[in-house]
Amino acid sequence: MKRAAAIFCLALAPLLPAQNVTYERLVHALDEQQNWLTHWGDYSAVRHRDLKQIDTSNVKNLRVDWIFQTGQAGSFETVPLVVDGVMYLTGGNGFAYALDARSGRQLWMYKHSFPPGRKGNGVNRGFAILGNRLFMVTPDANVVALDARTGRLLWQTEMASFNNGQYTATLAPLVIRDKVIVGISGAELGIRGFIDAYDAATGKRVWRFWTVPAKGEPGGDTWLADSWKRGGGSTWMTGTYDPQLNTLYWGVGNPGPDLYGESRKGDNLYTCSLVALDPDTGKLKWHFQFTPHDMHDWDAAETPMLLDLKWKGRDRKLVVQANRNAFFYVLDRETGEFLMGKPFARQNWATELDAKGRPILMKNQEPSPEGSQVCPGLAGAANFMAPSYNPETKLFYFAVREQCDVYYTNAPVYIEGRPYWGSVSRGVTEEPEWGLLKALDPLTGETKWDYRYFHAPWAGTLSTAGGLIFAGDNDGYVMAFDAKTGKNFWKMYTGNPIVNSPMTYMVKGRQYVTMPSGSAVLTFALPE
Amino acid sequence: MRIVGIALLSLCSVAVHGQTEIDLADGKATFRGNCAFCHGITGGGGRGPVLSSGRFLHGSTADDIKNVIRSGVPGTTMPAFEFEKDELDHLVAYVRAWSAPSAKAASTAPIVGDAAKGRQVYEGSGCAGCHRIGSEGSVFGPELTRIGAGRSAEYIRESLVNPSADIPEEYAGVTIIARDGKRITGVRVNEDTFSVQLRDASQNFRMFQKDEVQQVAHETKSLMPAYSSLSKDDLQNLLAYLDSLRGDLNAGAGVKKEKGIR
Repeated sequence: MKRAAAIFCLALAPLLPAQNVTYERLVHALDEQQNWLTHWGDYSAVRHRDLKQIDTSNVKNLRVDWIFQTGQAGSFETVPLVVDGVMYLTGGNGFAYALDARSGRQLWMYKHSFPPGRKGNGVNRGFAILGNRLFMVTPDANVVALDARTGRLLWQTEMASFNNGQYTATLAPLVIRDKVIVGISGAELGIRGFIDAYDAATGKRVWRFWTVPAKGEPGGDTWLADSWKRGGGSTWMTGTYDPQLNTLYWGVGNPGPDLYGESRKGDNLYTCSLVALDPDTGKLKWHFQFTPHDMHDWDAAETPMLLDLKWKGRDRKLVVQANRNAFFYVLDRETGEFLMGKPFARQNWATELDAKGRPILMKNQEPSPEGSQVCPGLAGAANFMAPSYNPETKLFYFAVREQCDVYYTNAPVYIEGRPYWGSVSRGVTEEPEWGLLKALDPLTGETKWDYRYFHAPWAGTLSTAGGLIFAGDNDGYVMAFDAKTGKNFWKMYTGNPIVNSPMTYMVKGRQYVTMPSGSAVLTFALPE
Repeated sequence: MRIVGIALLSLCSVAVHGQTEIDLADGKATFRGNCAFCHGITGGGGRGPVLSSGRFLHGSTADDIKNVIRSGVPGTTMPAFEFEKDELDHLVAYVRAWSAPSAKAASTAPIVGDAAKGRQVYEGSGCAGCHRIGSEGSVFGPELTRIGAGRSAEYIRESLVNPSADIPEEYAGVTIIARDGKRITGVRVNEDTFSVQLRDASQNFRMFQKDEVQQVAHETKSLMPAYSSLSKDDLQNLLAYLDSLRGDLNAGAGVKKEKGIR
């Protein structure tokens, strides 16, 4: 009897094979081309895979291989992980799943438990993995560790007190050695932002880096009076990491109130900046501020991609970013030195960047009570959608939003859990928006080719050794382009705006491309 | 501390309709950011109705106006807004202050002109070939059943003499130039990166893949001809007629549904 019961229990709680994703595997993630081990695919975020089963000659035959329906409402912004044939993804609203990556069949599901009275809706961008543990954040600002084999909750730590929804979290964590690094959202509601590291084994917080320094701390003099206390500086997207330099790179969000600057005169460090941190201690190594004293919500959360390129005849370790403020930046990632900044979209706020990369402002670009028309719009010329870099073409591929807004300003009143915007923006309806898939030379900032979308996009790109760039547009097309010329080879209408970035993987010799749309995970492959 | 308190008190004592100037300033900012785009920066109307005349289409009490803001107006471009209670209070106080007896409100005088003669101008100028009033006319262009209630006279005048000045997005004109040079013009139903769907003047849906045509041209001019050649009297009478159109919102709903118009 006893023995039969034991077997029965085993059948009820099946175990996935141990994953054992070590830190070493994460460092060498690009050596496992069949897998996708971190949110960006690897620590550098190049989002290029040496997979070429699907190539320029056969991509026209690409078709949907399987669809997984989460049934979850809301914007579906996850990028799945794939580890040795198992796909792990978050579904928004506190849901998460493990799937058979060949069939899309569910292995387990996890649902985060929200305390009574707490709204449980919100987007999520995905998992991090270490050993047999998966890490995600929740709409109520918790970090959660799950057993990758069962979906069982291992630990859960509150990053910040929920405060009526003031603090939220959406990003995919980043694992470095034994630490889980996460960021926070809520600059629109008057938070003071931070980047946190938690012990992967226990969930105990190891360090915190405040993105808004307090009075008396270095950078604290860039905030008027007590404005730093609600200074914003969300850290809502995943950073990147250089294992050799042991440096973490993280984009910091906008200052708050978003559109009202009078109460927070000064440069407002480290908002709209890239910060380089020691991942062991959380200590700042250097920072670079793209948009000092921002009043247009142009945060710096866009992917800080790490590239090793020959810069003016010399091998240099670079970090590049297509920033929301419409400039493409190249920095030295050892020192933070500004090397280049060039506009990649329409902008009418800066005449140029000075020798140190600081923008020289045009007149009348500040939000006003009567409204000021400024390009780019509030959503920026770039945003969270991931770019990619192809080492063969040596081009940087990204989605560009061509859209302007009228910005209004007004002194806001702070009330916990309520928007602390300092007025609003609206689209310029006299002219239509549009979008571009752009291939840019990161050494010069020049455009090699672009492909025009009818609407401004919210989807990122993926590069493959098959000579392809995968992308999505806001009308709902998943598309494949020639990396060299921008020719469109393939498209499929999915019926929902794509608010995501594609990824690819391989199982048992077959290459797959995944792009979520609506509340479904769509996975494409060539016919067998 | 005491002095600050007194200063605030004196500031707060300047009240209109029980609202302080601070509240009205808050309402003004909310209005400019959310409403002015359609209703004009001083409530004089535009794409949306005049708000400064004291005539409100759905009732003039604060609660009436709040209902409209919270629920929107189905069948029109007025969306529902989610404001916090105090924001909404301040906004409505600001809007109602325009038509307060003490305020010098915009002219509420009716349009000078003979609406009966204006109707003859409407019928004689072929307007019903594109527009409809109730169930009479065509669904190609915007419905005019309630145009007098929904638009300021100034906006209607501009739409007659210079219709390209403001083209509602749902009536954007597109011309397809086919590979054989043939041109097909219509109102855009949908357009994306790869395809476009139109409704032509005969109310037929026309569907195109962009890579199968020579060109997709977005008309910068309105598909409506400018009626600038009307005599001054005809124009004034037509304006008076259109201003008098304040029919039931659902008067033409059946026709619209029948013709597949969203």
